[in-house]
Amino acid sequence: MSSTKRYWQDLSELDPAGSPVKATTAEFNEPMPLDQVLADGGIAGSTTSRRDFLKFLGFSVGAATLAACEAPVIKSIPYVNKPEEITPGVANWYASTYYDGEDFASVLVKTREGRPIHVQGNPRFGVNRNPGTGKSAVNARINSSVLSLYDSERLQGPAEVSEGNMAQRSWADADKAIGDGLAKAAAAGKRIVILTNTVISPSTKEAINVFKAKHGLKLNTGDPAVSASVGGTVDHVQYDPVSYAGIASANLKTFGKWAFPSYDLTKADVVVGIGADFLSNWGSTTENTWQYTSRRRPEDATTARPMSRHWQFESRMSMTGANADKRVAVRPSQMPQLVLALHDAIASATGNSGAGKGQLPEGIAAAAARCAKDLLAAKGKSVVMCGVNEEGVQVLVNSINNMLGNYGTTIDMANESPFFRGNDAAMAQLVKDLNAGTVGAILIHGVNPAYTLPNAEEFKAGLKKAALSVSFSSHADETASLCNWITPDHHWLESWGDHNPKAGTFALTQPTIRPLFDTRQWGESLLKWSGQDNDWRSFVQTVFKGTTGASWEQSLHDGAYQGNAAAKEATAFTADLADAARRAMDGVKEGEWELEVFTTEALASGLHANNPWLQELPDPITKVTWDNYISISPEDLSALTGKSFKQLYIGQESPANLLRVTVNGISMELPAVMSPGQAPKTISVALGYGRGANGERVGRAACLRNPDGSPAPVGQNAYPWTTLRGNTMRYEAMEATVEPTGRTYAIALTQTQMTGMDRGSIVKETTFTVWALNKPEEYNPPHTLRVHEDVNKDGVIDARDQVPATSINLWAEHAIAETGHRWGMSIDLNACIGCGACITACNSENNISVVGKDEVRRSREMHWLRIDRYYTSDTHEDTEGLSWAGKLAGMEKPSADPTVIFIPMMCQHCNHAPCETVCPVAATTHSEEGLNMMAYNRCIGTRYCANNCPYKVRRFNWFNYVTEDFSQVNPAWDELGRMVLNPDVVVRSRGVMEKCTLCVQRIQEGKLEAKKEGRPVKDGDVQTACSAACGYGAITFGDLNDTGSAVRAGRDNPRGYEMLEEVGTAPNVTYLVKVRNAAEGDNHQA
Amino acid sequence: MFLVHRLLKRSPSLFSTAALLTFLLVAGGASAQVDQAQYDSGEKLFKANCGSCHKPDKDMTGPAVAGATERWDGKGDLHLWIKDSQGYIKSGNAHAKEIFEKWNKIVMPTQPLSTEEIDAVLYYADHFATVNSSKAAPAGAAEPAAAATPTNNWVWWAITGLLFLVVLVSLGGVRSQLSNAVREKHGLPAEAPLGTWGRIRRWAVRNKGWASVAVLLIVVWLVVMLWNWMFNIGVYGGDKVAHYKPSQPIAFDHSLHAGKDNLNINCQYCHSGAEKSRHAGIPSANVCMNCHQAISEGPKTGTAEIAKIYEAVGWDPNAMKYSGEQKPIVWNKVHNLPDHVYFNHSQHVAVAKLECQKCHGPVDTEMDQVQQWSPLTMRWCLDCHNTTEVKVAGTDNGYYEEIHRRLTQTPMGQRELRKYLEDEKITVRELGGFECAKCHY
Repeated sequence: MSSTKRYWQDLSELDPAGSPVKATTAEFNEPMPLDQVLADGGIAGSTTSRRDFLKFLGFSVGAATLAACEAPVIKSIPYVNKPEEITPGVANWYASTYYDGEDFASVLVKTREGRPIHVQGNPRFGVNRNPGTGKSAVNARINSSVLSLYDSERLQGPAEVSEGNMAQRSWADADKAIGDGLAKAAAAGKRIVILTNTVISPSTKEAINVFKAKHGLKLNTGDPAVSASVGGTVDHVQYDPVSYAGIASANLKTFGKWAFPSYDLTKADVVVGIGADFLSNWGSTTENTWQYTSRRRPEDATTARPMSRHWQFESRMSMTGANADKRVAVRPSQMPQLVLALHDAIASATGNSGAGKGQLPEGIAAAAARCAKDLLAAKGKSVVMCGVNEEGVQVLVNSINNMLGNYGTTIDMANESPFFRGNDAAMAQLVKDLNAGTVGAILIHGVNPAYTLPNAEEFKAGLKKAALSVSFSSHADETASLCNWITPDHHWLESWGDHNPKAGTFALTQPTIRPLFDTRQWGESLLKWSGQDNDWRSFVQTVFKGTTGASWEQSLHDGAYQGNAAAKEATAFTADLADAARRAMDGVKEGEWELEVFTTEALASGLHANNPWLQELPDPITKVTWDNYISISPEDLSALTGKSFKQLYIGQESPANLLRVTVNGISMELPAVMSPGQAPKTISVALGYGRGANGERVGRAACLRNPDGSPAPVGQNAYPWTTLRGNTMRYEAMEATVEPTGRTYAIALTQTQMTGMDRGSIVKETTFTVWALNKPEEYNPPHTLRVHEDVNKDGVIDARDQVPATSINLWAEHAIAETGHRWGMSIDLNACIGCGACITACNSENNISVVGKDEVRRSREMHWLRIDRYYTSDTHEDTEGLSWAGKLAGMEKPSADPTVIFIPMMCQHCNHAPCETVCPVAATTHSEEGLNMMAYNRCIGTRYCANNCPYKVRRFNWFNYVTEDFSQVNPAWDELGRMVLNPDVVVRSRGVMEKCTLCVQRIQEGKLEAKKEGRPVKDGDVQTACSAACGYGAITFGDLNDTGSAVRAGRDNPRGYEMLEEVGTAPNVTYLVKVRNAAEGDNHQA
Repeated sequence: MFLVHRLLKRSPSLFSTAALLTFLLVAGGASAQVDQAQYDSGEKLFKANCGSCHKPDKDMTGPAVAGATERWDGKGDLHLWIKDSQGYIKSGNAHAKEIFEKWNKIVMPTQPLSTEEIDAVLYYADHFATVNSSKAAPAGAAEPAAAATPTNNWVWWAITGLLFLVVLVSLGGVRSQLSNAVREKHGLPAEAPLGTWGRIRRWAVRNKGWASVAVLLIVVWLVVMLWNWMFNIGVYGGDKVAHYKPSQPIAFDHSLHAGKDNLNINCQYCHSGAEKSRHAGIPSANVCMNCHQAISEGPKTGTAEIAKIYEAVGWDPNAMKYSGEQKPIVWNKVHNLPDHVYFNHSQHVAVAKLECQKCHGPVDTEMDQVQQWSPLTMRWCLDCHNTTEVKVAGTDNGYYEEIHRRLTQTPMGQRELRKYLEDEKITVRELGGFECAKCHY
């Protein structure tokens, strides 16, 4: 039936030889070497005939079929002697405490058959507990830490390192060698140094004292400010990789205490952050966040306790800045000036002496003046927090807070925080001492100076000079691999411990699994080396009973003991303001390009780099995963590269531009990511990346491997750009050079620089003033559709004939609205700070695969829950003087000083779900309880549902992400890593669609508990992983048919709206309009 | 006679087949004759007097009783031996002495039984194996009564079909004989014999339409059969396929432990998870030790199997203490659901209050070695969900009361309730028991 007619695409096709068209249309680009194979007897020489081949084929198919019919014998091994508290299939929860030197939280650990699989906040107790929601805040780093327990690159036992070779040793060998080494150091009259992060454990402090008593004189007062310089034989040096020494040092000057203050944001009507990302990475974030959000719900506002007003001055758009009512972009060199200006304004208004005027550009000066006015209006009910790690600046900030009368109300220096006592000067001195050879032995716990110090090389050289160096690290990391001995500490989930996070409060850590490897708690090691054979548990118990006198069992059950803090008199504030101003301005000069380094929500100081959940957690603002990068304003990047914004957008096929940055003579090439709101001519680079660059085994996810086995670190290490100036580590540099390289680098983002495009049903935001008018139709108008019917009865059918979108329905009403359960969610955009703790909680609960950078780049990330970030634009639908196309282009472009809004987005569980109607095999259907169900084993992978989902929340398994191909990034494939899997949720395989189930396994469990107890399901009984993780009440889950439930209250709230309601999907998820406490003069999109 | 002769000549196998069938039918109807009254009274006496040391058909503490009459034949008086064994040994019987020594000199106490009663006991023991094997045969199939009917029907259909075929073939032969006889009479040569297959072919060629319909029906039938058969691939349990009954490392006898006539231990004493958890759980060996610390010898296997528990938990029965050396028991899992199915025992046991036997079959009465009774297919689950009633009103369960309240309170709820109650009951299905995400997540 072939046509005789031929069509030519190209004249060259007429030429039988070498037609380019032919080459492109042929199935194979190169001719198959069939003739060759036939000619040289390739087939004839074979002993297998075609018939034989077919026989084998038939036999193997038949054999495989028959073999498949026979079910394999499955073995089942019960306990020989079942522990009383374990019922297979039922989870046990243990109260415990997380502390890693940076984050602190009271938590509950969920274990199944003895394996910890999930971490969430302790709802009964903790400094992180939000009494308003009855939940406790944890961040992504804390709830992800359960995965790092099952890191197969953890050390399996004590090891001796000599000349770069590591050899496994027994504890007896290690104890003997280290004991000898310590004795030798003492005999030689050399110092023994214990280097740690900030220690808040009474037991550890006691153990250090025991160690000191054994090995040296106790001249140490416990005050790290002087610890290094006192001539005892044993010194305890505390060093925080990301330092707060500037604040501690300022407090030493003004209050006589080397300490970080204890903030209480619940009492703050006005919160001012100056370069302090206090919701994400600055201070005690698990406390800051819930306290902050507890003042952000407009419904809770009263005259006496209004909704707080949040000012943020910062260089890069931080998560905290995104939450601010008014955010001002300030370059690092302008920060001290800004503090001076604020100080001056407040001093003059309160009749105090100033410290000089700040030199600020007009816009910032005006903002500072307005901010000062706000602060003055909230005397004693405001707080200024500043992230500049410099003593002078911090003295001025203290002075501002003092003039405002904030000490004793929002800031407590009488009962100061025990966190962040690290001393940069002591650390610097230690490096000098090491190089001078006066340190005979050094024991390192919890810190990694060979990675985090800017003068790491100097430290490494010095470390070699210490005759004995011991690391307690769980990995042979940058520092540990250079020590003589590594005596690995337990993971925190295997540990006993106590903590004193606040005066009078004692939190306990208890093990939730028997140690996986032959490790030992470092406190126990210290005791052992002091000649004491106590096991750590009984030591902690003794110390705990000694300090508190409380019941050990009860406290262990609760996770903590809350005693009464002895009332302390606050010390009077004293300051030499002139000196402070001089110090603050010392070395401050405006550079062409300025650099700021920061820590991210995911990796913090780099401690969590081995955790793939965190590596794949998108940055709250830039949504970048698996890399650090240069955050730069779109205008600057455009000017540098000569490309338009559109050309600069990063996608699967459009990589980021590489820029070369040189600071202090150190150059690095990093990809540039546009971040609207970044201060002009300022770049920001994240710390914590580039681990394991020298091939150290720091965890598979921290440092991937090239095919040849060489290390391929994730991102680059920016610590060399930090500098020690004066007595503190500085995280900004005023003289940087930035130049384009003309090269590109692929980077994985989960969302591009999106604006809301004026679509009122995605982003709804208003101001407190508008909200307070109590007219929802003003700030939350229902979406209307034009109908061809005279609904307004004006006699004509025209554009004014509109009805609410929700009144039009193609589908029959579902009965679920009034019968049985109706599970739903309400998401309060005012309480959502964008932190992403819900994402990692979801990962952990629902066995969500990590897919790695390459797959994320192809938009194949598997997160069931994402947090969308939208910028505002300067152009709007009603902007005049623009064509429609011009408006569209303008609306796409975020403004240079945008407002940012976070929207948690997961399956909306639409009652009229577009995905359900298109599934050809009914793999996704609707339940009578309002859930959009997904039966994986029925799914054939057409992906029609994903295409038809207006929310784009469905995720497709493009590959078998739980196989060895993804071994580097996905822990679920490896024997150890799969221990973190939740046995109640199926692990999905290739070709299957998946999405948020509203944690149906938890719903089923909650209903079953209620049935067994013969009672209705109580509100709050069933929590999804995300709602349990969100201590701020941004995500509320429950039964919408339960009229008294919190989620119903959310749905009935006048702020409530349905995402994309005009589509008519009738979701069971409600969003509450974001209300900002914006004032006149804020560039806010009303 | 001529025709009959011809027929016999043509198909000699026909009559033998018919004869065989008749024989089988008669044989099937007949069964071994057992004097039930004698047997029952013997059983009662045996259980009351002998059962703690003897088994009817197997050796235990003492020898198996079955075959005792034969063993004693000509060697002495069995009745005297049973009544007063020690006295009989003293009387000098060599065989009695020999048995006494063979069985470790365990003294059998005197038995206050009459000669008739002893005869009854011996009768019971001798017929125990026969009676039990005939009982066991129907027990292999699912519901004995239910299963028997379709099987019998099928057999009758097959026999009728076969007879019909025989008649058809014979009639064909008769017809061709008659037609040949007619041709012979008319002086025409007889037609060459075509054979049965040849005649079918000729018929098919002549009646193409009917032949096509017949072939089509046969193909459809084969496809349907294949389709139905394929549903049973990988399925164990139920009444269509063999029950999965793996051997176990310890020959644990459920009927002995849980049987009403035996120890009658509650299922959940050992499978304690059933009420609390998704897993009923294989009991840990320390649960066995609750009883077996004292009981080191069983009625069926003696000490052999119980010793395996001791080995697992590290118990020294002689020293009566634990050695501390434990060795987990590796059981072969009998009931296995695919990973993508979530099943929760406690929902069915604690809430629905179902008997374990509902799904697991007569574990307590018929399973010495446990087997998968139900097919555990999704159809099987749903069949039950479709018909099982859930009491939502008038229960003391506040959960269902609340569900009922919501159904009665609103117009939409009332509408739903009316729909549910069309068959006068609220089933699991109507409360969502058919929904995917109830079991798949």
